[in-house]
Amino acid sequence: MNLTQLQNARSSALAASGRLRLPLRSRTWKGQAGEFTGGGTGSSLDFQDHRAYSPGDDPRHINWQAYARTGSYTMKLFREEVRPVVDLIIDVSDSMFFEEQKAMRSAELFYFIAESCASAGASLSIHAVRGDAVSPLDPATLRTHRWLETAMALPSLDPARAPDIAKIELRANAIRVFISDLLFVGDPEPILRHLGQRHGSIVIFSPWLESEARPDWDGNYEFIDPERGTRHPHRIEPATLRRYIEAYSNHFALWKNATRRHQAALARIPAAEDLATALYREAIPARALESI
Amino acid sequence: MPTFANPLGLLALLGIPAVLAIHFLQRKARELPVSTLFLLEHTRREAAGGRRLERLIPSIPLWMQLLAVCLLAWFLSEPRYTKSGSVQRVAIVMDSSASMSVFKEKAIQRLVELLPDLKGAASAVEITVLESMPDKPRLFAGSSPEELRRALEKWQPCEGPADPAPSLYLARSLVSRDGTVIYLTDTPMNPLPYGARLLALGEPLENAGFTGVSFAMEEGTLVWRALIKNHGNKPLDRTWQLVTSTGSTEPRPLHLDAGALVTVQSAFPKDAENVRVVLSADRFPLDDVLPIVAPKPKPLTLFAATSPAFSGLAEKLLHSLDAAESTKDTTSADLSIASYNPLDPVTPSGNCMVFVEDETRTGAWLKGGIVAEESPLMNGLNWQSLLARETIQLERLPTDSVLLWQDKRPLILLRETGNVRQLLFNFDPSLSNAEKQPAFIVLLHRFAESVRATKIAPVSENLETGQPLKITGAPDIPLTIATTDPQGKTLPQSAMKDRHHAISTPGFISIRQGEKTLLNAAIHFGDPRESDFSKCESSSLTETTNTSAIQRNTRPDPLWRVWILLLLAALLLSWRFTSKVPTA
Repeated sequence: MNLTQLQNARSSALAASGRLRLPLRSRTWKGQAGEFTGGGTGSSLDFQDHRAYSPGDDPRHINWQAYARTGSYTMKLFREEVRPVVDLIIDVSDSMFFEEQKAMRSAELFYFIAESCASAGASLSIHAVRGDAVSPLDPATLRTHRWLETAMALPSLDPARAPDIAKIELRANAIRVFISDLLFVGDPEPILRHLGQRHGSIVIFSPWLESEARPDWDGNYEFIDPERGTRHPHRIEPATLRRYIEAYSNHFALWKNATRRHQAALARIPAAEDLATALYREAIPARALESI
Repeated sequence: MPTFANPLGLLALLGIPAVLAIHFLQRKARELPVSTLFLLEHTRREAAGGRRLERLIPSIPLWMQLLAVCLLAWFLSEPRYTKSGSVQRVAIVMDSSASMSVFKEKAIQRLVELLPDLKGAASAVEITVLESMPDKPRLFAGSSPEELRRALEKWQPCEGPADPAPSLYLARSLVSRDGTVIYLTDTPMNPLPYGARLLALGEPLENAGFTGVSFAMEEGTLVWRALIKNHGNKPLDRTWQLVTSTGSTEPRPLHLDAGALVTVQSAFPKDAENVRVVLSADRFPLDDVLPIVAPKPKPLTLFAATSPAFSGLAEKLLHSLDAAESTKDTTSADLSIASYNPLDPVTPSGNCMVFVEDETRTGAWLKGGIVAEESPLMNGLNWQSLLARETIQLERLPTDSVLLWQDKRPLILLRETGNVRQLLFNFDPSLSNAEKQPAFIVLLHRFAESVRATKIAPVSENLETGQPLKITGAPDIPLTIATTDPQGKTLPQSAMKDRHHAISTPGFISIRQGEKTLLNAAIHFGDPRESDFSKCESSSLTETTNTSAIQRNTRPDPLWRVWILLLLAALLLSWRFTSKVPTA
């Protein structure tokens, strides 16, 4: 992808992020001060409860009116406001970017999550993963669009294998957003288990192409593996194509079942439609996003 | 089995690979990057990466196009079916030169193998085999390969090189325009006349052999000298030995450089029979043996009854003639030499040479042009420098033939009466420069030899195979011939069929008339042209398309209209199904 395309992707993401955001309000947060209601007491203006004074409490929160009435120290407790924590993991394998439409949608989703986090004041941590290679990305590189160049340069011994996200140190109580086409061999269970550890919430955005889901192949093909660069001669007949479509459906059915078990949100975002439309249609029902 | 009148039409079958290639190229694998290969791997139940040919998807257009190509090839090649009763005439002219004897077996084998092809489209074949020498009888006429083989096995090529055109003309006339004429040889020549096809079966061989023999008396001993030539391009090492009926000498080594000519010689063994010089064997055996006999010409007895003016001339003639003897008996003399005296104008009654003697010696030099008449005695002789004086003249008879004129005066006459020949010189040679004229000496020798030739007497000669013979014998008494082959095996005596030629194979012959032996001869092969195999080559039978013969012997395919309709239907079906297939 060139710079113009990345800029366009970011523009689309910005527009979408004005109407949609990650489901940050649907859960209780803990952590640094921020704009979102935390799980504990804090220093916001929202009154939460009373309790008896304990030594060490902040004397500024002693309810002096209650003390005047009762003679005992009563503390006023206010709701805590914290910053949400988001761990964004993007699969930068070649299958995500070899096709222009899919590459655009992948970049749009990446920018959308980043912008959504930025507008919510969330603490964003980004990791790029390519097969067995993992690298953190500086959110500051998003504005310069250098992130993709850095990510694609990841040295991987086997870029076609399942992303090895076990190497990523995920933060506690974070929303783990995973952007991947999920087109790799392997059981989704270990990935989802790792994403869900330490009270994490899992949201998966999976861009997909119509040509992958329902290809119109007929005859002899020399398929090129974009990740390994290898060539694979195949003869596609209608029966072969039927079995392929069936295998494709089964593959994502497996992922849907697995995400359901882990209470994760899986949104498969088609690359052919406008980003906002696609997100409204796929991500909202899947509870991967919420309207602002 | 049909015959194709236009075999080039079968080239249309090349359309099959073309159609397959087009379909294959149409089906050529498209390159496509995909990220779901691992899903595709699950579907490989039918050898997705199999052989390339399996990728060609059979389709109705493909089968229709292949059918159309086959039908087109069938139609263009003009198939024809054999008519019952049709006959293909084939005339084969065999090169009867002696060198073919080396390749005889190969030639027979090849011809027998070729017979089915020569039959062509006809239901039967008629074969006539001739020799390249047009005066030879035909070797075979028939249709059976076995009979042809047997006939050719008896054939013995032993002639010299000959122009095959007359035999080819005869062969063409035998088989007419539609027949096949084949010239089988070991030395190709192109182009052949009369539409003949060439079949050459020769090969260059390294060969050495005898090319000739001569005899000489050295110190009272008869010595033979034989010439041996290496006709090849490489040096050869051979041996030679002298073999007689009683034994042989030790083989002697002989080195022959390429193209070299070597002479070997030895004393002729006395009282030996079947003497032959034998060279170690090679593939051409005809010139490896040299039968020889001690040459012995017919004796010629001379009676000189001349004046002293011609005694010197008579003496010279006696010494210069081969096997000539002097006799004092005029009745037993074969040839008399006499001078003419007008006072005693009687000439000898037998064969004689008569010289006019003019004792006056006062005559003027004769003037006028000298003209020689056409005669075997005078052929090639130049008399223009002859100077003769006017002398007395012989009495000329009306039957005399004038051999030489000066102006209107006959100078030399030939008188023939029955078997008697007389050469008359109508001038005095002693008053002329005749004795210094080569023509005069040659004429005397020619006349003497002609007298010797008419003499009935035994003679021993060394001859070449097929050499013309001139045998003088008594009329009305048949000649018999006894032949002995080079190995000394005597063949039964038989009547002589061809008294004008020597036998065609090396050996010894003895020709007799009654109890009288007329000729003892050793026959050797002496044609070095046939011994030289350097120009021999092989070539397969040249192809000629005899369209008229095919049309005469066959009938056209009766279903050709059906094939055309089928072809059109196949093309229409192909087009129909091709147009229905959506383009990718």
